[in-house]
Amino acid sequence: MIWASILVAGIATGAVYAMIGLAYNVMYSTSKVMSFTAGMLGMLGSVFGALFIGVLHWPVAAGFVATLAVGGIFGWITERLSVRPVLRNIDKHLYVLSTLALALMVQQLAAIEWGTEPRPFPTLFGIGHDLTSEQYWLPVIACIIAAAALEWFYRGTLAGRAFLAISEDARAALALGIPERRMRVLSYVLSGVVGAFAGFVGGELLLAFFANGMMLTFYGFIPVAIGGLGSNRGALVGGLVLGLIQQAANYWFGGDMVPVVAFAVFIAILLAMPRGLFGAAAQRRV
Amino acid sequence: MVQEHGWRRRSVLGAAIGGATLPFLGTARAADKPPVKIGWLVALTGANSSPGIGFNRGIAFATQVLNEAGGIGGRQIEIVTRDTQGDPTKAVNAALEVVSQQRVEFLLGPTNSGESLATEPVTARYKVPSLLYSVVDSLVDIRRYPYYFRQLPSNTQWTEAAQNYVLKVLKAQKVGVIGDATGYGTATLQLAASEFKKAGGDVVYTALIDPNATDATAEMQKAKQAGAEALLVWSDSAGLNARIMNARGGIGWDAPMIGHPAMGTGIVKNLLKQPSYWGKVYIVGYRSTSFDAGGQLPARTQDFLKLVGDKVKLSDTTLWWVACGYDSVNLIKWAIDHGGSSEPAAVKRAWESLTSYPGIFGDYGYSATNHNGYPTAEVVMNAADSFKNGAYSLAPGY
Repeated sequence: MIWASILVAGIATGAVYAMIGLAYNVMYSTSKVMSFTAGMLGMLGSVFGALFIGVLHWPVAAGFVATLAVGGIFGWITERLSVRPVLRNIDKHLYVLSTLALALMVQQLAAIEWGTEPRPFPTLFGIGHDLTSEQYWLPVIACIIAAAALEWFYRGTLAGRAFLAISEDARAALALGIPERRMRVLSYVLSGVVGAFAGFVGGELLLAFFANGMMLTFYGFIPVAIGGLGSNRGALVGGLVLGLIQQAANYWFGGDMVPVVAFAVFIAILLAMPRGLFGAAAQRRV
Repeated sequence: MVQEHGWRRRSVLGAAIGGATLPFLGTARAADKPPVKIGWLVALTGANSSPGIGFNRGIAFATQVLNEAGGIGGRQIEIVTRDTQGDPTKAVNAALEVVSQQRVEFLLGPTNSGESLATEPVTARYKVPSLLYSVVDSLVDIRRYPYYFRQLPSNTQWTEAAQNYVLKVLKAQKVGVIGDATGYGTATLQLAASEFKKAGGDVVYTALIDPNATDATAEMQKAKQAGAEALLVWSDSAGLNARIMNARGGIGWDAPMIGHPAMGTGIVKNLLKQPSYWGKVYIVGYRSTSFDAGGQLPARTQDFLKLVGDKVKLSDTTLWWVACGYDSVNLIKWAIDHGGSSEPAAVKRAWESLTSYPGIFGDYGYSATNHNGYPTAEVVMNAADSFKNGAYSLAPGY
């Protein structure tokens, strides 16, 4: 039974991390920018979900759509305010500061407007109880859906293939007539939707809490680094591994050791496999 | 430069708050004698500001009552308020400003432990008589900080009261001790476990839980399997406390949970999956502000409530916070009256001679060797789910 609770909670938490990792990857695919607003998307997903459904008593479907819309809008704002100016005008690597600054502003605004204590996220379906409660299985199913939908988008649509082309070689894609900037904006909107989706389905587990933003920013980044930058498969595996490690470390070593163990595994994997579990070596045409 | 801007802004905010809550300051300036200036470092905004807002109401009310009665020895009281926002850096800057530039004669606060730990070493050299609003044991150190007196109970007194309730009232011998993985949680877990063993009890399980942990079911199952008859829980994280209660209820376990007052907040109530999961949760409280079995508060507290009337809003705060703030200003008045002046040495001597001051929050007493003024016997357990009109009911067994 103890094993079951560690597994169930670990996989559920890991699924939320994995989805935040997917949000990182979608942004990265068209801009080569690791935007630290990814965790904030998750936080906004749970906060706005709780606001629309729990406070304003909107129907679940309407609240869900509105939450995803908020995520998409925040994705667009991210690209417009903290990514585009950096890519256009100044040292490219300053995106670390510009996206982090935007993330901190959003977190502070959420703390002021929403409050600094966690608030409940409404029960969406009321199916299951205890370890079969929806707070555990909903993020897992949502994660599978998000990963499958992204895979279909990348492989089965023209826009998705354009993303991949830009990801491979932005200049060549531009030369072929692909509207690189428009695709980048679209990728940030899509990333916003994915991140808000993660926060919404993980809301019952993580609660609607402003501080989740920074926590998800860090713990969503680890799966991306473990799995390999840009690899959605890597983010999925990395997220689940991280969730399980956290739950197990919390149980066996104590809560104070959770970050230590998580980051130790992270460093160990990167030392052994610098490009992550699924990262491919960069190829250069000669 | 940024910080300077920060505290200038807070100074304005503090002045605005002071102006709003203490309209009688004008009379202080008009008086012949200089006012008694009291520095008040309080988190009025930001995280963990709820206690500060409650304390502030008590301080403002006491100041108003005393000033209307002529002040202290004919001197009006002036509260120099600084909103520290719960930030230790801001608290240090504000503390230095009020002691070095405002030249306050007394210092109250800060209202959270991290801020107190940061400010005390830097303000100690100014020898300003201070009343501490924190439970951290190390803050009272007569050799290093001779002008600091604690008005709240210490953390040791909290854990002792909880332990006494488990051993003497619940008659439970085997406990699990749980803390969150913060500095406070880690230190208190060790303290509580060690004291419980010294008192003859058996600690069958201990766990430090990450405050962001999404689930505590495994910990509850292990505590139950270890044979714990009760749980001592020391965390001020509402989210973690609710998750522990949900996990306890989820596995169908009803071992009593005893510990931190944060388990009794409305925030925790909102996060519970079932209202019944709040049952058998007992939090640290105070006899002076607890309803007895007949639903009555102690006579002295009832008199205080009559005095307060509708002048202080109590419906959205906790009565003991207001009472504690009220007592602070009165303790300062007592020290000046009995010490003969507001000189630091005279105030220190006066407080160290105080054997029992009948406050609203408690009966305080200090000595030259003891600056912890709150009596342990006044620290009791409250039923977490009994909050009404700013106060809780005594836990069963008293």
